[in-house]
Amino acid sequence: MNENSDMTDDMPQGDDLIAAELAMGLLEGEELSQATARLAHDPAFVALVTSWQERLVAMTDSIEPVVPPKRVKKKLLKGLFDDPRVPLGERLWVWKGLSLAAIALAAYLGIQNLGPEVSKTGGPLYAAQLGGQSVPLLVVAVLDASRGEIALGRVAGEEAQGRAFELWAIVPEAAPVSLGLLQEGAAMRVTLPENLRNRGAEITLAISDEPAGGSPTGAPTGDVLAAAALVEI
Amino acid sequence: MGEVEQGRLMDREQIEMLIARVAMNDRAAFNALYDATSAKLFGVSLRVLSNRAAAEDAMQDSFVKIWKNASRYQSNGLSPMTWLITIARNTAIDRLCATRKGHVDIDTPGLELAASGAGPEQLAVARGEARRLVSCLDELAEDRGAAVRGAYLDGQSYADLAEAFSVPLNTMRTWLRRGLISLRECMSRE
Repeated sequence: MNENSDMTDDMPQGDDLIAAELAMGLLEGEELSQATARLAHDPAFVALVTSWQERLVAMTDSIEPVVPPKRVKKKLLKGLFDDPRVPLGERLWVWKGLSLAAIALAAYLGIQNLGPEVSKTGGPLYAAQLGGQSVPLLVVAVLDASRGEIALGRVAGEEAQGRAFELWAIVPEAAPVSLGLLQEGAAMRVTLPENLRNRGAEITLAISDEPAGGSPTGAPTGDVLAAAALVEI
Repeated sequence: MGEVEQGRLMDREQIEMLIARVAMNDRAAFNALYDATSAKLFGVSLRVLSNRAAAEDAMQDSFVKIWKNASRYQSNGLSPMTWLITIARNTAIDRLCATRKGHVDIDTPGLELAASGAGPEQLAVARGEARRLVSCLDELAEDRGAAVRGAYLDGQSYADLAEAFSVPLNTMRTWLRRGLISLRECMSRE
């Protein structure tokens, strides 16, 4: 539609017409990209487009509903929900254990940075939200059991001067196992010791206050600031 | 308006509620939304594509988009059946264009809308006007009405329409734009 030189005098112009053409799918090339770009930041233009969509959709009123074959629904639901590679984000969303702040962080980080992009093996995922009782501390942990890796996102909380946050894995009837110190920044990963990898459902994670460099004894020495059991999601 | 027919099964608020729940990944709500609206969306896909297998695929794609984009629904101000049918129509037209002449993506108006600047009144007016669309289309010069239908329901481009009506491209566009203006005037008439 670019060679409209002499004819343009006759052709009605205006945003409303561009909006109608966009709603109908008549725009092409440069005009299409310009109009599409406006949708993102021009509410008045969006209103024109939605108004046309409301008007034009009436052309479908006379179209009789046709019940689709049952297999279409089956295929649809299977495609959407039976894929073992459910994105971590989706699994976190349906898990009710997350606070809004944690969800916001997960969204902010782009969940990929927080955890495994996708659990390709379809192995179980576990998550815990560790909230401090006495100090402002909030950490989200996600364990991908198939990789034995825990991804951690720190939503809130800072170590006191010269102190460190140490992360522990605790299973029944065993001493806490150190998983290392929380590092600076919002996201980090730690590897779970081999012997704990199949025990995701039994693990409680805890964070203790330790001297810089971590517990000198190999067991928690300072206050336990937060603890939570991993829950399968 | 689509919800006129759908209304027998489910009213506007119920469909809106279902879309809101789908936006929170509620699979039961998605199931119910499918049961309530798939026949209409399949009818529309079938009308555009005139081929059952292609229409089944297109409708399935539409519902995948509905599942993934339900959270965008609320801000765009469209009535729920308009949103759903527009997705189905655009998806079907996309498929038609893809088989006809290489892919042209027109999903965007159905899915990527930013928050609408239209107030509820403005959209209610547009919805009220929409009821008059069909009679207004019939009032247009025959060619223009056919061109508007051809573009909306058959995915015809300006080039296709110009060829079909044996006129230069810009003449076609001038006609159609005038048609749209008359259409709007007719629809807003009391």
